[in-house]
Amino acid sequence: MTLLKLENIKKSFNLGPLQVNVLRGVSFEVKTGEMLAIMGTSGSGKSTLMNIIGFLDQPDSGRYLLENRETARLSDSELSAIRNKKIGFVFQQFNLLGRLTALENVCIPLVYRGIPEKEQKSMSMEILEKVGMADRAGHKPMELSGGQQQRVAIARALVGSPSILLADEPTGALDTRVGQEIMNLFLELNSTRQITTLIITHDPRIAAQCPGTILMQDGYIADREESQ
Amino acid sequence: MIIKANLREAARSLISSRQRSILALLGIVIGIASVIALVSIGTLAQQESMRQFKEMGTDILSIQTANDRGEDKSKGFKLQKILKIPENLSSISIVAPYASSYGELRKDGKRINIPAMGVTESFFQMNRLAMTEGRFISDLDGITPHACLSSNLAARLKAQGIETNPGSELYYNNRKITVIGTIEPVAIGPMRPYEIQEGILLPITALLHMSPQSIISTFMARLSPGFTTALGTEEIKTCFSDLTESMKLRIISPEEMIAQMERQFQMFTLLLGAIGSISLIVGGVGVMNVMLVSVTERKREIGIRRALGARKKDIQWQFLIESVLLSLVGGFVGSFIGVATSWGIARFSGWQFEIVHGALILGVGVSVAIGIFFGYYPARQAAALNPIQALRTD
Repeated sequence: MTLLKLENIKKSFNLGPLQVNVLRGVSFEVKTGEMLAIMGTSGSGKSTLMNIIGFLDQPDSGRYLLENRETARLSDSELSAIRNKKIGFVFQQFNLLGRLTALENVCIPLVYRGIPEKEQKSMSMEILEKVGMADRAGHKPMELSGGQQQRVAIARALVGSPSILLADEPTGALDTRVGQEIMNLFLELNSTRQITTLIITHDPRIAAQCPGTILMQDGYIADREESQ
Repeated sequence: MIIKANLREAARSLISSRQRSILALLGIVIGIASVIALVSIGTLAQQESMRQFKEMGTDILSIQTANDRGEDKSKGFKLQKILKIPENLSSISIVAPYASSYGELRKDGKRINIPAMGVTESFFQMNRLAMTEGRFISDLDGITPHACLSSNLAARLKAQGIETNPGSELYYNNRKITVIGTIEPVAIGPMRPYEIQEGILLPITALLHMSPQSIISTFMARLSPGFTTALGTEEIKTCFSDLTESMKLRIISPEEMIAQMERQFQMFTLLLGAIGSISLIVGGVGVMNVMLVSVTERKREIGIRRALGARKKDIQWQFLIESVLLSLVGGFVGSFIGVATSWGIARFSGWQFEIVHGALILGVGVSVAIGIFFGYYPARQAAALNPIQALRTD
């Protein structure tokens, strides 16, 4: 089943007098349960593409269908609701809130859904257990290692059962061994729970472990490989 | 649910930037405290004067001599002439002249400066006083220095271990005086001289004898039943029409007193109101400043929250709740200080104290309003941040 479909997506930015065409017509499809790596040099447009897929940004032109629904011209509230329910973000810098405990960080997406606190806690604990962080639920991010923080961040991205997991250089701030552990977690989540995953990465070793790869170049998709 | 989570979040964020929050609050604390103190003190003072009129009645006049400019010394009223007024004027039933002085009370090497007042026997009834112990001054005391202590003075003396029961002897301006009684505390207002509460009372002839420079500058007069203040005023004016040009008569009626008091309250209210509003504006700007810094510092947090599904509205609420909570804390602290101040002033002035609820509601209401008004702009800014740029900030 097609989960998301991009058709001729274009996006440009004005940098002073200069107009930079970051995306010059990107089209591709992602099926439910797929796991894709998005590779490309910096400036190739992969981050902008990620922002558009994650509804943090909207394209200038082109169509974006998520679960067969047109997503153009949505209001801020509607975009926020889609991010909240359909998208799970994982960032390079983990982006946990320092004042909150691991458990409270995982609860955030549920808070914005208006789920009662008790339910938030039980749902979050359940997902923390899945990523192996249940015993650290009461710790602040400062008290956790990088790999542990990223596990909490993944739990936060997954807690709302999103349609798609968007990871932007998830192993970029970790050493190779811990990075590989995080990668194993993504692979495991994808194979056991069929979680659709897009991973932006520079690292060919990470990309090689993904069943599919999209190569971005100068605002176009230069290549798409499926290893199967 | 979101409100509850936001409140907890706001409290945490304020606590984590404790120093900044406390500094920002100073303005609000001072503003709210002065507003509360102002409203409470005004209300308490008004209640106190009303209580005085309730105790004394409003059928009284206070007659003072006033010097014209250029004349240093007034001779004051003649005692004999005043005492004959109830006989001569049909509108006046009782008169109570008094003379004031200020001196040093001494006993066992301890010295206190106090006001003293010379009064006649009629003063007791005029002011509707009561005795805690002993008796009041009698016209038969003549120039014998028999003294009645006011309640506050008696308490002060007792605190220093000085005997105050009838028969004890004290020295006023180096003259021996004998205590004959202590007056019960009464409500003090514009009609009752404050010596009733703070000083000693002596027979008027004794006081004039002991301090020759004192004069009878004032007497109080109670109207006979059925006579109006206007009539009484008119009769007294005619009676004193033979006064020299340099000595003017000032007759004050309760109506006039109340009007004058109200004018004074208005001035007082205006002044403290101005101080209060200025500190509140300064406090509000402080809150806005803290919130703007907080928004700048937490851009990344805002970006993260937006990515996780927070709507602009949610972010706006989060920061608005934080600023309201901040100024509400200021409001509570300020209310507490304001109430404490009015309590202190009421105690010092010998008024009955009570918490003025209207003032508290005003204080809390105003602080919430400040939180909303000065927090709105920073909250709007936070909500308007572009999530992508917010996420990229360090």
